[in-house]
Amino acid sequence: MDTRHRVVVTGLGLVCALGASVTESWAAMLAGDCGISPIQAVDTSGLKFRNGAEVRNFEPAAHFDPGRIELLDRFAQLLLLAAREAVQDAGLASSTDKGGSRIETASALPAAVITGTGAGGLATVETQLPRSRMHPFTIPRTMASAGASQVAMEFGITGPAYTVCSACSSANHAIGQAFWMVRQGLVEIALAGGSEAPFNLGTLKAWDALRAVSSDTCRPFSKDRRGLVLGEGAAMLVLESLERAQARGVRIHGEVMGFGMSSDACHITQPALEGPVRAMEAALRDARIPAAAVGYVNAHGTGTALNDVAEARAIRQVFGNSPVAVSSTKSMHGHALGASGAIEAVASALALRDGILPPTASFTELDPECDLDVIANVPRPAACEYAMSNSFAFGGLNAVLLLRKFA
Amino acid sequence: MPSDDPIAAKVLASVASVKSLPEESVSLEQSLVELGFDSLDTINLLFELEETFKVSIPDEEARQVKTVSDVVAGIRKLTADTVAGSPGGYAA
Repeated sequence: MDTRHRVVVTGLGLVCALGASVTESWAAMLAGDCGISPIQAVDTSGLKFRNGAEVRNFEPAAHFDPGRIELLDRFAQLLLLAAREAVQDAGLASSTDKGGSRIETASALPAAVITGTGAGGLATVETQLPRSRMHPFTIPRTMASAGASQVAMEFGITGPAYTVCSACSSANHAIGQAFWMVRQGLVEIALAGGSEAPFNLGTLKAWDALRAVSSDTCRPFSKDRRGLVLGEGAAMLVLESLERAQARGVRIHGEVMGFGMSSDACHITQPALEGPVRAMEAALRDARIPAAAVGYVNAHGTGTALNDVAEARAIRQVFGNSPVAVSSTKSMHGHALGASGAIEAVASALALRDGILPPTASFTELDPECDLDVIANVPRPAACEYAMSNSFAFGGLNAVLLLRKFA
Repeated sequence: MPSDDPIAAKVLASVASVKSLPEESVSLEQSLVELGFDSLDTINLLFELEETFKVSIPDEEARQVKTVSDVVAGIRKLTADTVAGSPGGYAA
């Protein structure tokens, strides 16, 4: 007998360059809007690139008490915003601006929170470094797990709580683990997602030195792509067992069906073919569906020369001749690193729910080396049952989610 | 192999150091791929060269480079531009 629980998505929260909420960001994605523009947070005159996908018009004081802001790096602030929206969306707690609500679980099982981030609060170290003495809150702000702790404290989440760090796959690993926990009945409800706030000079200079950042915009799978564009933001999903969601009569956005992961064990930056193939196949096996059932792939699609070719080949290998539409929403919200998997999981869930697939913005001409059905510039209406969301991180750490339209 | 040309000598030394090869085993005719360079090694080499020669190597120029002598030619051009006071330009 299959004792696995079905796992549904009952809450979504998202803040990124495209908007301060799920509604705003999703509307922008469907309009093919590009959130990429000249970076304002730092002086870019010493860098080879000028553009980024920053969260704009964000005033921390409008969301947090002054005393609490002192303890929150921007990556944790963004995470809390996304978590509040997701919790509210799921009807779990009426979170006020100052927080303080608690998630009540129906049984004795406490809720879980699992977050992903690539670099945590590095910006805090940078601002403190010139001082002769660092502020005593530097460590509690900087630690990568600060976001998970802050969400747990705000919502009274007393079950499993931790942060996954796997560079650009962090959020997918976090969501995948939360999904498995709920499916196995270890918890009834979990908040999972990721956040990243990379717009500090040290991080930007480091990316500049890697020569992976585009000097203009992000054009995944286009012949004239020039690299990735960094983004910031956070997204959170509320995952819960179908029984619990139905018992409390909450709206269901979608279902998580599968999670697959693998390691290239090959190179610290260069993408490989086999690792991504194995992660996609593992996700399909976990979901117990054939590749042909998947109608949409939200690609990792960074827009670098190497990633897009390797990913296109990997997708070809997994899907063979079965038609699958592909887009990279990073062309619009930038590469939000440890948050990107969560942002893209939200986009994938909404694409299935609403029957419309978000495009790859700024697309010019298909690179023959990336022989895929790329959704170019305008969204595509399509009633897909399953979507796959890929994250293939530096260092060969691959994590793939499989979502289903809830029916 | 060592070279009398100071630019070539420094380029050869950087190429050898990035891949931890004996300097005498690297020659101008060899391609970076032959020498086992991957994308990260290439970025590392570009960084070394920028530090050594105090130049900025644009990505477009870097992409054209195949052999060690291409690297030497590129550096020669960039350093000549710097000396002429018009970085990146072709002032007569």
